[in-house]
Amino acid sequence: MSAPAPLAAPRGTGPALCAEAISKGFTSGKLRTQVLDGLSLSIDTGELTLISGPSGCGKSTLLAILSGLQPVDSGCVTALGCDLGTLDDQALERFRLLHTGFVFQGFNLFPALDALEQVELPLHYLGLSRRQARERATQSLDEVGMTPRMHLRPGELSGGEKQRVAIARALAKHPDLLFADEPTSALDAANGQVIIDILHRIARGHGTTVLCVSHDPRLVHHADRVLSMEDGRILSDRRPAPPALLSRGATA
Amino acid sequence: MVALARKTLIFEWRRFLPAVVAVGFAGLLQLLQAALVLGIFSSAGLYITGSDADLWVGFPGTQSVSLGRPIDPDLEMRLRMDPAVAAVEPFDWVDADWRGARDTGGQSVYVIGLDPRPGGLLLSRVLSPALRARLAEPDAVIVDRADTDKLGVGVGDVAVINGQRVRVVGVGHGLRALGGVNIVASLDTARRLETDPASFGRPTFLLAALSDPSQAGQVATRLRNDHAFGPYDVWTASAFSRRSIMYWMLDTGAGAGVVFLAGIVFLAGAVITSQTLMAAVAGSVREYATLNALGVGMRNLRRVVLEQAFWVGAVGLLGATLFGLLLLAFARSQDVPVVLNLPVTLLCVAVAMALAAISGLAAMRGLRRADPASLLR
Repeated sequence: MSAPAPLAAPRGTGPALCAEAISKGFTSGKLRTQVLDGLSLSIDTGELTLISGPSGCGKSTLLAILSGLQPVDSGCVTALGCDLGTLDDQALERFRLLHTGFVFQGFNLFPALDALEQVELPLHYLGLSRRQARERATQSLDEVGMTPRMHLRPGELSGGEKQRVAIARALAKHPDLLFADEPTSALDAANGQVIIDILHRIARGHGTTVLCVSHDPRLVHHADRVLSMEDGRILSDRRPAPPALLSRGATA
Repeated sequence: MVALARKTLIFEWRRFLPAVVAVGFAGLLQLLQAALVLGIFSSAGLYITGSDADLWVGFPGTQSVSLGRPIDPDLEMRLRMDPAVAAVEPFDWVDADWRGARDTGGQSVYVIGLDPRPGGLLLSRVLSPALRARLAEPDAVIVDRADTDKLGVGVGDVAVINGQRVRVVGVGHGLRALGGVNIVASLDTARRLETDPASFGRPTFLLAALSDPSQAGQVATRLRNDHAFGPYDVWTASAFSRRSIMYWMLDTGAGAGVVFLAGIVFLAGAVITSQTLMAAVAGSVREYATLNALGVGMRNLRRVVLEQAFWVGAVGLLGATLFGLLLLAFARSQDVPVVLNLPVTLLCVAVAMALAAISGLAAMRGLRRADPASLLR
């Protein structure tokens, strides 16, 4: 925690994420697969951007690169004004601690901790006091409608509830960037809708830049911007018309 | 701080149980082994630690009490002449053959001749004054209560030592020795039982009590350099006791065996513990990877694994201690020689915690697979 905090651009000014001519490939045995090839992209601050496309199109790799979880082979990634390629592992961890939240398809909650502790856990590493962490965690769980069940362990929660706890865990850090990878694909229709609404509110209410990878068509109507990918390239970049029921709130 | 390590340990106790049991058993084995070894080998120093003498005088180079050779009886006068010496007592050691009252065949025994009068030095801490006084009766002997079956006698029975009749007048406790059976008799009785002409009238050791025991080292040095009384050497009681115990520990190869066994126990415990901890890390690898994605550093995650190892060690040791105390109490009740002192106990605890720590360090390798990028698919 002693590493200096990487600089972050203030919210609402310019792109939050910027990729310039990035390439990434993987070698499996003798086979070399080029997943991304000279891709450039800019994601605006405070928007919910959806990346969709078929399996293996490179959307998860793009998410891993933009979030600083994987390095690029060539090109340059700037997040909040900070060139991620210049940061070492520890500085990247520090950057993620201060600025990013993650929601994964699997909820990845510790079986031994109740919902409140799951959310509190990363906050302690931010240097928050026990009281501050408790306050933020409670607030965050309230936001996803999990207050009544915050003392239950993952084994006692449904899939949708677990994902809401995972979102609260990411949200409690007050991240500038929230990355979500197929957040609804393990959930039924109703629970998926709840998660979609929550993500939308996070982008709207907190000004958080939300980058979501999904092939769930329901998400399209809630996104500010939809990028379609195929074979490591962006095929289309569009801004769908907002649906009539945008303001529908999350139901617990 | 959310106590992730501890909460996981409690919630998933079944997963950690093998590691706890492994550390516990490793600790228990080390502890019992140490207690047994200390118990058995400290019986080599029994004659010294059980006596009130400050100085021991014997044949030069004698490595253990049981290896004494006759010395010049006039040495007693030499010792009495020294102003620092308050009391001197001869100690006759007789290697003898025992025939019990019941048909138990022959037994090789050590007859220990001591002064049965009140204030006698030899084995004064092991035998009560009342018991010692009974030895004043001619041909009276005392045996250890743990040896009565082996010797085929009870109190009041008659037995034969080196062809002479003796009578068992009492049983003592804590007289068991290495290599043979200790039979306690008076000096007069012991001398009557002696069959080796070279030993007639010659004590095996002389014991001296000093008016100021803290001067033992200086007095021993002063008495050592007088060659007018034939070959002899003088040791302080603690030095001679250590010498006897070390002889049995090292020169008999038993010490090396103990260290070897301790190493095997350590290795087996470490393998089981590290494998269990590694499995626990592997079971939570996605959760750890998520924490890392959220910016919790690898160093902090390693600390969680180490903390788990620490708790595994602590819980295992707690169980080992409770179980060990029960076993030691049982061993004592069965006259099995077990001795534990604080330094050795602490050493065993340190070894068990080192085992847990090394296992934790090994299990940390499992965190390498906690790559957050692998969570994206």
